[in-house]
Amino acid sequence: MMDDKKQVEQRKTSWSAPTGRRTDEWSECLVLIGKTNDRAAFTRFFRHFGPLIKAFALAGSSLSQTHADELVQEVMLKVWQKADGFNPEKAAASTWIYTIARNCRTDMFRRLQKFDTPLAADDLSIELEDEEPFAVLHTRRGAARVKALMGQLPPDQAQILAKVYMEGKSHSEAAAELDLPLGTVKSRVRLAIQKLQVQMARV
Amino acid sequence: MIKHHPSADILIDFAAGTLPVAQAACVSAHLNYCDCCRGSTEQLQSIGGVLMEQLVPVAVSESVLDSILARLDEPVPLSFIQQRVRHRRVDLPGLLNRIINGDFSQLAWKRVTRSLSVSHLQTGDDQREFALYRIAAGGNIPNHRHGGAEMTLVLEGGFSDELGTYHPGDFVFRDASDVHAPTAIDGEECICLAVLDAPLQFTSWQYRWLNPFLQLQAG
Repeated sequence: MMDDKKQVEQRKTSWSAPTGRRTDEWSECLVLIGKTNDRAAFTRFFRHFGPLIKAFALAGSSLSQTHADELVQEVMLKVWQKADGFNPEKAAASTWIYTIARNCRTDMFRRLQKFDTPLAADDLSIELEDEEPFAVLHTRRGAARVKALMGQLPPDQAQILAKVYMEGKSHSEAAAELDLPLGTVKSRVRLAIQKLQVQMARV
Repeated sequence: MIKHHPSADILIDFAAGTLPVAQAACVSAHLNYCDCCRGSTEQLQSIGGVLMEQLVPVAVSESVLDSILARLDEPVPLSFIQQRVRHRRVDLPGLLNRIINGDFSQLAWKRVTRSLSVSHLQTGDDQREFALYRIAAGGNIPNHRHGGAEMTLVLEGGFSDELGTYHPGDFVFRDASDVHAPTAIDGEECICLAVLDAPLQFTSWQYRWLNPFLQLQAG
């Protein structure tokens, strides 16, 4: 019992332990920011992700440069404040920062459209707990596989995923923009998800 | 064990952040109960991470970095800390607690039929109604259809209709054409969360007169 506890402790502190395979540069950077408030690591992280967040802000939207810069600021400030909750064994740095950017962008759009809601995007977003059941741990390994398989998607499927994820278009908006029937868009997205081997519950 | 889940389309829209707020809240509440869909959502979000890394970077000026560095010592919002101690698999998803501010009995329940009451909650979604339905033990909601889509999540008790039986955490999606008459499971009252984008329409003659009173209460 004691040993188990120790192991958990160890996993939490020494993230590059043999079990942790996510030892990429940006996860490492996030750990440094979270554990030691390392400003140099934060600056490195900013130089890599800042321009990507800005590209994400401007993707398929009419957001001004000023608002895009504001979004970069908001996202990076959250990165700083939330980094100690980042666990490299549970999530890839890119997934982690994508969800922060997505939530900030949603909130910013709502603010700009004067859309009044008691729910911030963060409230609805899932955060994996430290002790998730096996089913979740098992499916989480799929994230690395998704990355590896993405390059093999046919262009028409990759294009629709980009519309949905980067431009924030719903299936029907994507259909209208690409001048395709909604059914075609839905089936392309589903095919893409299958090729990426995302595990889904049977509905 | 959760048996009824959102479809791939719905989870993808959720992961990409394109689901309207009322529907996103309902899906999020389901994830609170469902390990399996939480795992899927994490994988679907990783698609976003990979795609973001493939974007063509847009230069950010140094002044943006400077102003962020100057703000790093700002106090961390309390909500970030609270989020981390949030408990899962509680009776009521934390998010709903936030909208409800109290327990079910303190809500304003409006009686629709002898065995059905409804309480409307605010999500700010101006095109969808977000409401709790309370069906007395063994009671039913008369045969009805919807002018649009209906998302339902069982919170307490359970109900059954022509297509199945649903328990806490189960997620049901019906579109405009489906007509159904849910009946609460015997012996326990059933509380569901439902998101509608058009009002309920009773189809049997005994209840049709109620339809004008069932206007959509979005917001």
